[in-house]
Amino acid sequence: MMAPRDFGGFVTSSLIAIAILWSLVTTDVELSRLASAGPRITDFIGRMFPPDPTVMTEIKKGSAETLRIAILGSLGAVLLSTPLAILASETMVSRAVFGPVRALLAFIRAVPLILVAMLMVGAVGLGPLPGIIAVAFHATGMLAKFYAEAIDGVSRAPIAALESAGAGPLVRLRHAIWPQMAPVIARDTIFRFELNLRESLVLGIVGAGGIGFYIQTYIRSFQYDKAASVTIAVVGLVIVIEAINITLRRRFT
Amino acid sequence: MSMAIEIDDLSYVHKGAQLPALERVSFRIPAGECVALLGPSGAGKTTLLALLDGRIQGWRGRVSVLGAPLNPDRPPPRARRPDTGFVFQEFALVERSTALRNVLNGRLGRMSPFHAVLGSPMAHDLDIARTALADCGIAELAERRVDSLSGGQRQRVAIARCLAQEPRLILADEPVSNLDPARAGEVLGLMTKAARARDATALFSSHQPDLARRFAGRIIGIREGRIAFNVPTSELKDDATAELYRGSGPTPELGPRAVL
Repeated sequence: MMAPRDFGGFVTSSLIAIAILWSLVTTDVELSRLASAGPRITDFIGRMFPPDPTVMTEIKKGSAETLRIAILGSLGAVLLSTPLAILASETMVSRAVFGPVRALLAFIRAVPLILVAMLMVGAVGLGPLPGIIAVAFHATGMLAKFYAEAIDGVSRAPIAALESAGAGPLVRLRHAIWPQMAPVIARDTIFRFELNLRESLVLGIVGAGGIGFYIQTYIRSFQYDKAASVTIAVVGLVIVIEAINITLRRRFT
Repeated sequence: MSMAIEIDDLSYVHKGAQLPALERVSFRIPAGECVALLGPSGAGKTTLLALLDGRIQGWRGRVSVLGAPLNPDRPPPRARRPDTGFVFQEFALVERSTALRNVLNGRLGRMSPFHAVLGSPMAHDLDIARTALADCGIAELAERRVDSLSGGQRQRVAIARCLAQEPRLILADEPVSNLDPARAGEVLGLMTKAARARDATALFSSHQPDLARRFAGRIIGIREGRIAFNVPTSELKDDATAELYRGSGPTPELGPRAVL
């Protein structure tokens, strides 16, 4: 007779084993193809080298557009998140309001950015505009939740202390509530901006503007050496973004 | 002699509570005195002090603070609030702000609304804040963020904020309960000294009879919401304090009546 805990562990391991076997058996994995792939992969990578440095103009143009999409998309997300955060906060509104608003935010977070971008391209056409709208929409799901947590994390005691000292509501907001919230909001916004910048690098693949557009164009037209240059640029950008972000975040803890 | 506090037949029951937190409380404190409110945890000390600060409504009886009657249904007008300073048991400081900023927060009720919202203190306000910090022995901590300070240093910031408010009445709720005995005496000493230097009346609560004896001219004993005794410190008998703590352990638990 197995103890209930052992039994639970047995069921978990069995389920994982079944999931792996099911995937292996039902997916058409032709291992034979891997064997013959060697020369083809070598050829593919060979055609990427040396990366074509003549696409510098496109890289600059594409990066600038990605940056604009991330900045304007983040701005849109901040503007949308401010009212939504108040409606999603436990301390500002009743459960009847924050419950549904939080469910809506969870739904927004669940929709992948690339999917929103594809829908927006369909709705407003190609270019950076669908990218901006998609980033703003997608980022709001996370940012409004973070802002709401910043509001709920404000300690009540200093507010009461300022009221006792004769400070009015506006003064309490400025000197007791805002100093507690501002660093959290700044940190969350920078964090979300980094994600926005990183995620919008690939938006061009579905036609929503930015540097990703060039990767897609060059691969479709078999110009792998140019695609390689753009890819290297993207990786470089991600590293730079992360380095800047680490420095910034250190300031807001 | 004018009275800083006049309480007649004050009773108060917390919302949803069975037993009253305060029952038929009456006493007077003349202006300029330093009085200790002594009693076990849950006796109603915090409730009484918060009520005198105008933060509790719905009580019965007559209460006057600094000559002006309190309204049992609404907080006192904002213009009167800076006259009553409060030292909170858990400090109630803005953790991410500097000590000086927190002490300046005590000036907000005295500044013009314009300057208060902008948070740009006049030289006069800065002088008062820096003097308060110095009086609390922490002038050199002015630019330190409160979340980097120790418990004792925070307590001093909280007292300095109250002093910067230039109150005529200082209410302090267990102002040294978070400190070890040596520091407790030191901090209570500087608080009562600063109050005397400013001609302010001081009423502080404590559950430690020895501290009350050392720093107060008069001791009011409170137990289960009622005044047990109200005597000059020199007349306080040991059996009176023993009676006050009858049935409560050496380390009193927070009772259901303790608020804040």
